[in-house]
Amino acid sequence: MKIQVNARNRAYQFAAKPGQRILYAGLEEGIHLPYECGSGTCGTCKARVTAGDVEDKWPEAPGRKVLKQPGEMLMCQCVAKGDISIEVPSFVYAMDPGACLPSAGKGIVRNPRMLTHDVIAFSVDTEAPCDFDAGQFMLVEVPGVTGFRGYSMVNFERGTRRLDFVVKKKPDGGASRWLFGDQVEGEKVSLFGPLGTATFFPALAKNLLLIAGGSGIAGMMAILSRACQEHYFDQFKGHVYFGVRTLKDAFFLEELSAFRRAFSEKLEITVVLSDEAVPADASRYPDLAFDHGMVHEAASRGMKGRYQNMRAYLAGPPPAVDACIRLLLLEARLTADNIRYDKFS
Amino acid sequence: MSKTFLCKRSDVPDNGLKECEAPGNIKVLVADSGGEYFACQAVCPHQDVPLCEGLYDGAVLTCHQHLWQWDIRTGAPIGLAEAPLECYKVEVDGDSLYLASGSGALEMGELFSGIAGATLEGIRALAKREEFPAGGTLYNVGDPADDIFVLDTGRIEFVIGRDERVSPAGFILRKGEVFGWAALLESQPQRIAKATSVEPSSVLRINGKQALQILEKDAAAGYMVMRRLSSLIARYLAPSGAK
Repeated sequence: MKIQVNARNRAYQFAAKPGQRILYAGLEEGIHLPYECGSGTCGTCKARVTAGDVEDKWPEAPGRKVLKQPGEMLMCQCVAKGDISIEVPSFVYAMDPGACLPSAGKGIVRNPRMLTHDVIAFSVDTEAPCDFDAGQFMLVEVPGVTGFRGYSMVNFERGTRRLDFVVKKKPDGGASRWLFGDQVEGEKVSLFGPLGTATFFPALAKNLLLIAGGSGIAGMMAILSRACQEHYFDQFKGHVYFGVRTLKDAFFLEELSAFRRAFSEKLEITVVLSDEAVPADASRYPDLAFDHGMVHEAASRGMKGRYQNMRAYLAGPPPAVDACIRLLLLEARLTADNIRYDKFS
Repeated sequence: MSKTFLCKRSDVPDNGLKECEAPGNIKVLVADSGGEYFACQAVCPHQDVPLCEGLYDGAVLTCHQHLWQWDIRTGAPIGLAEAPLECYKVEVDGDSLYLASGSGALEMGELFSGIAGATLEGIRALAKREEFPAGGTLYNVGDPADDIFVLDTGRIEFVIGRDERVSPAGFILRKGEVFGWAALLESQPQRIAKATSVEPSSVLRINGKQALQILEKDAAAGYMVMRRLSSLIARYLAPSGAK
């Protein structure tokens, strides 16, 4: 199937395999079509069909709320039924030559383990070696549940065949229910990725502020891994704020402590508890600081007057991310290009 | 435009925002900036997100979705924003705010917004309004590139190539967008694309040579216009986002 995309600045042509979603076909070709979640919820990949027919794989996708004109559809959910022309109302460019091209693949779930009562960690062994940038996510489709969910990679290695993920239990999420079931080890899942633009590269040469709520810490772990592997914190400061409800809901504290011990001079890590005062047994983690309150409030207190040459990365529940954006724009006066996040969940 | 009631002054918080509805289902965002009132379109030009949900510090408006930002006084884009906001003049009468007039395509334009009044007037005097029906041709490949165009309403599409071997080369649809800018460049005497109005469209046609003569007399404005022209051209070549 031939797909023609007319964008504001130029046209692109690429081929899609039968059944392949239009967005994924374009991204595989290195065309940076607009997207954010890639999984039907955000509506960013809206396009209008001007010739030909498409089949919508998920007519109830919440992202369809942004569709208003006849012929509009979500590229992440639609498949071409023949040759088609579509129109994307934004500028579209080719991806950077250095970008990790996304592709479809399969993987096997390994080593699922509960980190807290409602957070699970697991790995996916991929068929083929895989490159991604620190802060990116992968779309994962699990058996018996149609549609992809985005999960950020926790680890960071080039050419890896293992992706580490961490997922919080959602009462109504089909994929989450499957992952928290007992038939997960050794099961096959479908993958598409890597995706996401909230990425960190050491060439950035700025101080880092990482603010995460709950499982949003996943991508921050990858950023910390890359930064520590390349001794970034020999030169630049790092400030991490990790928000959870109570100390019992926190995880990765040993891993965070290890990062901190390796670069104790310039890296500080604060675990922020929203639902309880800091308990006495927090002293089991002498390398970490603890605070009580909402994560953006703790960051506001801790960072006052310390925002020079700063790049911030945010992840977590949308209200927490929004509160952090407000803090960073209005109080910290960071410029918008130094506030990075992907709203994909 | 006759004046249309927007809201009471007390409806707009100090250095805050208020979304109002003008007749004809036009939504307008009214902003207080240190006691002065400004109004602009109520949804983000990027993805139609309501701007009243955005962040506003009394001077800069930010759409919370992708952090596009604008100067509330002029609607000029700041930072990541790729398009201006359409602005309206607000008239204060007692405790009431009225919508007075909208910004014209030239003021909103990518090239000429914000240049000195007399120079802008000179450019305005050159501008000839032209209407094109759906399917009208503004220019063809090989035509002399004498004029630049500013879109007011409608939509213009571009096609490159000849005969059966043609390919779409983008489209413009926002008020104030400029096209045909070869007319401002050296050694670009001919059109390299065909421009068609795919729906009834209204454009301002400005002779390039005469515009350059006006800009030569106001070096500051000329410098600003040329800087903007180079960013405009660069935007068609490569993304602006740095890592």
